Amino acid sequence: MILALFPLLRFALGVLSIAWGRGRRILLIASHVVDAVLISFLAAALHSGRVTTLILGGWERGLGIALVGDRIGLTFAALAWGLSVAISFYTLNRALRPYFYMLLHLLIGACYALIFTKDLFNAYVIFELLTLTSFLLVGYERRPGQIWASLRYLVLASLGMGIFLLGVAVTYYHTGSLDLDVIAVRVAAAPDAGWIPLAAALLVSGVAVKAGVFSFSLWLPSAHSLAMPAVSALLSGLVIKMGVVELFRLSDVFPLDFTLVVLGSMTAAFGIVYAVASQNAKRMLAFSTVAQIGYLLIGFGSGTVAARLGALDYAVAHGLFKALLFLAVGEAALVTGTTDLSELTARRDAIPLSTRAALLVGTLGIVGMPPFAGFAAKCVIECGIQRSAVHAIVALISVGTTVAFARFLPLFRRRGPWIDVWNRLAAYAWLGGAVLLFLPLSRTMVPRSIWSESLNGLAFVEALGAILLGLLIHRLLRGFRIRLPRRIFRIEEGVLVILGGFFLVLLLLRFA
Amino acid sequence: MEINGVTVSILLFGIALLGLILRRDLVVKLLALGLINSSTILCLVSLHARPDGAAPILQTPSGPEIVDPLPHAMVLSAIVINFAILALALVFVMLLVERYHTTDSQRIERETSEEERS
Repeated sequence: MILALFPLLRFALGVLSIAWGRGRRILLIASHVVDAVLISFLAAALHSGRVTTLILGGWERGLGIALVGDRIGLTFAALAWGLSVAISFYTLNRALRPYFYMLLHLLIGACYALIFTKDLFNAYVIFELLTLTSFLLVGYERRPGQIWASLRYLVLASLGMGIFLLGVAVTYYHTGSLDLDVIAVRVAAAPDAGWIPLAAALLVSGVAVKAGVFSFSLWLPSAHSLAMPAVSALLSGLVIKMGVVELFRLSDVFPLDFTLVVLGSMTAAFGIVYAVASQNAKRMLAFSTVAQIGYLLIGFGSGTVAARLGALDYAVAHGLFKALLFLAVGEAALVTGTTDLSELTARRDAIPLSTRAALLVGTLGIVGMPPFAGFAAKCVIECGIQRSAVHAIVALISVGTTVAFARFLPLFRRRGPWIDVWNRLAAYAWLGGAVLLFLPLSRTMVPRSIWSESLNGLAFVEALGAILLGLLIHRLLRGFRIRLPRRIFRIEEGVLVILGGFFLVLLLLRFA
Repeated sequence: MEINGVTVSILLFGIALLGLILRRDLVVKLLALGLINSSTILCLVSLHARPDGAAPILQTPSGPEIVDPLPHAMVLSAIVINFAILALALVFVMLLVERYHTTDSQRIERETSEEERS
C-alpha cells in the first residue's frame, strides 16, 4: 500500500497546489513530512529482511502492475526525497507561479512511481510523464534559448520512447508478460533465443535517451545548462538517474553487463573531453553529469555485488553534489550576470561567500576528496571492479573530473560578504551537510564486509593521487583551448546518433 | 517479403525518421515525430493481432480463442500520451514563431545560440 501512496499523494498535491495557490508552501512541507514517514516505513521493512511488494488491482504476479520496494527502490526514493527537500527550501520565497509547484510535485511523484515499478509499460507511461514535466520545467522562464533546448529534448526523448515502446511490444510478444521478474524467468529459460538481443537493444536504446548515455543524449548539455538553477539541479541530480534506474532493472533481466561497460566508457570519455573543453560553467557541469553517468554504468556493468552497491551509492552521492553545484553556480551566474568561467573569475568578489562555500563543498565532493561524498562511493565501486583495464578507465575518469573542476579554484580565493537569504542557506546546508556526512550515511547502505575491504589505505592514496594528477594536468593545459564540434547537438544529428547508438548496442548484444 | 502490419510499420518508421532528419521546417518535423509514434503503435497492434479471435469478453468459455486485451489498453494510453506531447510541442513552436517569425529549425538554432552567447 505504501508504494502506491508515494506517487499518488504527490499527484494529488500537484493538482491541489494549483487549486489552492496560497497554500502551496503548507502543501510542500506536508508532502515532505509524509514522504519521510513513508520512506522510514519502507526502510524498516527492508532492514528486517522483508521486500515490500504490491500488485495493483489485486491481480496475481505477472498480470498486474508490480511495485517493489527493494534496495534500488529505497536508495533512489531517499535521493528523490532529499533533493526535493533541497529544492523546496531553495524555491520557498521566490516569486514562482503555483504552476511551478504543480510541475515539481508531478515530477517527484513520477520519479517515485518509476523507482518502484517492475512493469515495462508502466515504466513507459511514467517516462513520458517525466519527459513532459521536465520539458515544461526547462522552458519555465520562457527564454527562447530554453524553449528551443526543451523542444529538442522533447523531440529526441519522444523518439527514444517510441523505440522503447517497440522494445516493449517485442518483449511482450515473446514472453506474454510485462513484469520484469516474469520476463527474467522466461529469458533465463531460453537465453539463446533470437529475439533477446533485438528486444534488449530496443529497450536499452530507448532508456539510454533519457539516461544521459552518450550518443543517445546529446540534448542534455543545452537543456541542463539553460534551465533555471533549481530545475537544473533536479534534472541533473534526479531525473537523469531515472533512466539509470531502469537500465539497472533491465540488466537484471537481460545480459547487459558488457554493453553497459562499453556504453559507460564511451559516455565518460565524451563527457570528460567536452567538460574540459567547455568555457561555460553550467555547460561544464552538464557535461560532467554525462561523464558521471558513464561512471555509474561502468560500476553497475562490472557485475560484482560490491561494484553494484557502489554504483547505487555513487548515484545518490552524485545527485547530492551535482544538485549543490548547480544551485551554487546558478546563483553565482545570477549575481555576476555571466556563466563564462574566465569572466566569473574576474567578477568573483560579487559572489557571496556562502555560495562559494557551497561550490567548494560540491567540488570536493565530485573530485572524490577523502571525507566527502564522492570518495566513499568511489572506493566501493573500485573495490568491486575486477578487471584491471576497467579499473584504469575508472581512475582516468576521476583524473578527468579533477581537470575539469580545477578551473573553479580561482573562485575560492579572496574575501567577500556573507549576504544571503535564509532559504538559500538552508538548501546549501542541507545538500552540503549530506555531502559532508555521506561516509557514515553510506555505511548503513553497504554491508560491513565490503565496507572494510574497500576503505583502506590504498583507496585513500589512489583518490589523492587522482586529484593531484588532475591538478597537474590542469596546470599543463592552462592557456590551451580546444574547440570541439557543436553541430552534433542539433536535432538532426541527435536523431542520427540515436540510430547509430542503437545499432552499436544491437551488435554488442549479439556478438559479445 | 510479406506485406503485413509489422513491415508497413517499419517502413513508416523509416520514412518518418527521414522526415525528422531532412526537413528543416519545425512543424513538418513534429508531424514526422507523430508518424514515428503512430508507426510504433501500428507495430504493437499488428504484432498482437489475431484476425480470427473472438472479442475479449469472458462469456463464451467454449468458442474461438479470444484476443489478448492488454495491447489494446497499451495502445490507447500510448495514443493519448503522443497527443499530449504533440500538443505541448506545438505550443512551444508557437512561442518560437512569435519571437522569430519563422519555423525553420536552422535559423532558430542560429538565432538562439547567438542570443545565449551575448
